[in-house]
Amino acid sequence: MAGLELKSLHKSYGDVPVIKGVDLTVEHGEFVVFVGPSGCGKSTLLRMIAGLEDITGGELWIGDKLCNAVEPRDRGIAMVFQNYALYPHMTVYDNIGFGLKLARTPKDIRDSKIREAARILQMEHLLERKPGQLSGGQRQRVAIGRAIVRKPEVFLFDEPLSNLDAALRVDTRMEISKLHQDLGATMIYVTHDQIEAMTLADKIVVLNGGVVQQVGAPIELYQRPANLFVAGFIGSPKMNFMAVTVDNVAANAVTVSGKDLSPVSIPADVTGLTLGDTVTLGIRPHALTIPTTGSVVGRINLVERLGNETIVNLGLTSGISWLAVLDGDHNLATGQTLQLAFDPTSAVIFDGEGRARHPA
Amino acid sequence: MTAAAAPALKAQRRSLYPSWFYAPAAVIYAVLFLAPTFASLYFSLTRWSLSSAVFIGFENFAQFFREPFLIQGLVNTVVYAAISSGLKVVLGMLLALMLTSQIMGRGYLRSVIFFPVLVSTVGVGMTFTVLMHPTNGMINEALSLIGIKGPGWLVDPKLALFSVALVDVWKGVGLATVIYIAGLVAIPKDYYEAARIDGATPLQNFFYVTLPLSRPATATVITLSFIGGLRTFDLIWAMTKGGPGFASDTVASVIYKQYQAGFYGLSTAGNVVLFILIAVLVVPLTMFLNRKQGFE
Repeated sequence: MAGLELKSLHKSYGDVPVIKGVDLTVEHGEFVVFVGPSGCGKSTLLRMIAGLEDITGGELWIGDKLCNAVEPRDRGIAMVFQNYALYPHMTVYDNIGFGLKLARTPKDIRDSKIREAARILQMEHLLERKPGQLSGGQRQRVAIGRAIVRKPEVFLFDEPLSNLDAALRVDTRMEISKLHQDLGATMIYVTHDQIEAMTLADKIVVLNGGVVQQVGAPIELYQRPANLFVAGFIGSPKMNFMAVTVDNVAANAVTVSGKDLSPVSIPADVTGLTLGDTVTLGIRPHALTIPTTGSVVGRINLVERLGNETIVNLGLTSGISWLAVLDGDHNLATGQTLQLAFDPTSAVIFDGEGRARHPA
Repeated sequence: MTAAAAPALKAQRRSLYPSWFYAPAAVIYAVLFLAPTFASLYFSLTRWSLSSAVFIGFENFAQFFREPFLIQGLVNTVVYAAISSGLKVVLGMLLALMLTSQIMGRGYLRSVIFFPVLVSTVGVGMTFTVLMHPTNGMINEALSLIGIKGPGWLVDPKLALFSVALVDVWKGVGLATVIYIAGLVAIPKDYYEAARIDGATPLQNFFYVTLPLSRPATATVITLSFIGGLRTFDLIWAMTKGGPGFASDTVASVIYKQYQAGFYGLSTAGNVVLFILIAVLVVPLTMFLNRKQGFE
């Protein structure tokens, strides 16, 4: 097994830069998820690691080998494609063994490796079928089998669950997670689904516009997002934001207020903040509660009662709307005025440039 | 739907009214296709002139098969069809591979390859007859420049049929290429990328990915060009008239000669034989080519 090192990796199509200098270290055995909105460059970055896209600038190290100009087959990688890329004219057996056949692996060794991969993925009974006779989940497993059988140093997954239905996606996600534990392999996984990212990753890399926004453990990204983009992207429903004014700056906190917010002191890194600055306040929907007196007041636009929790869409007087996810069932009515409160330690202040000001 | 509405709708479905919309097409089809087909089946069993027909049973068929050069004509037909469709498959695939790769002037070259398809077959035949002239033809003159004595393309009995088949390939390969191009661009890029990661060489890519996945295009090209080859007439007639002797006669040219000689019943029987020959060869061929392979 091997780790990876990306040093100032760049990619341009003509004059259009799509990857703008990515630095990243992936330890061996780590499960790293690239996540970001459509067009952020996450698939391009994965394909650069695979060798399917040329690298315009920077260095790509896999293990101790500089791989910028190395052919994909010599990089020690295997890739699972979004559409599986199973050859429709070959049986599952031949699909799994295709790479070994190309490498002229002796037939008996090939056979034992194919059967071993089929055993790991519990699909021995499918070996004689053609891809057209398999369900989506089974095809996904064959695609993974084709990767396993090559015993790669690094597994690359390009949105592998996006063609599966919701229930199957949960099952396959767990299978991939178990596979990672069993094989102990380095895995890089691309998705736009943050639930997949949060549940699978040892480390999440959030990308936007070809730039890494933040790298960290899932819970770290949730609790301490580096900037407005990460705060808005990680977490579901997304974080609520509100433009507020700095009323007072203390040693380790700022007091802020706004049209929809009574003055409240929030712990923050106050370096460079001055009275009268406009900053952004971020609160997760789950951090909002219904107190007797609250600091945010609005009119209810929509109530979704799910039994175990109640999701409230609250229209504030400034025109923006916030979501609150309240524990338990609340019998609230549309049009009703509602006060919400939050624990100041759960709020995040973002400065004028969108950087999070977490307290030290 | 209410209980009363259901029977009303059923009655409406049975109404003859919509069928009238089929009528114009049905009349044209019946007059231009069905009537001549059944008429020719009947006339093949008669001795007929334009004014009268006398029923003579299978006598025309018996006589047709007694024709001294018919067997050669049958063999020629199948050989011609096999050569022309075989070469169209191979060349069409190679040209399509070239014309789907990143080469300069790709659009222009595609037009060049397709152009002969648009030219009149008789015109092509006449042009190549001049080009293939044993002494004054440009082909042999060009060969003589590099010290090769060109053969008698259309006058050598052993070569005439092959020469015409080559011209047929020249004229028809454009269509095969277009069909293959459509087939090749429809193969998802993922397959090639997966093969590349597995370390496939260009040759392995071709044999393991391109060739099997372009099978629908291959089936179409083989079927179209094989049927075209079996019923070929215009090119043969424009270039050799079945000669020298009967060396390049095909079933269609034999039939035409019978018409020219005024044996209408006999040549109609020949047409029925050609129809059966095509059906007997092409139906199993297409069944084989289109057999299910677990494709999605």
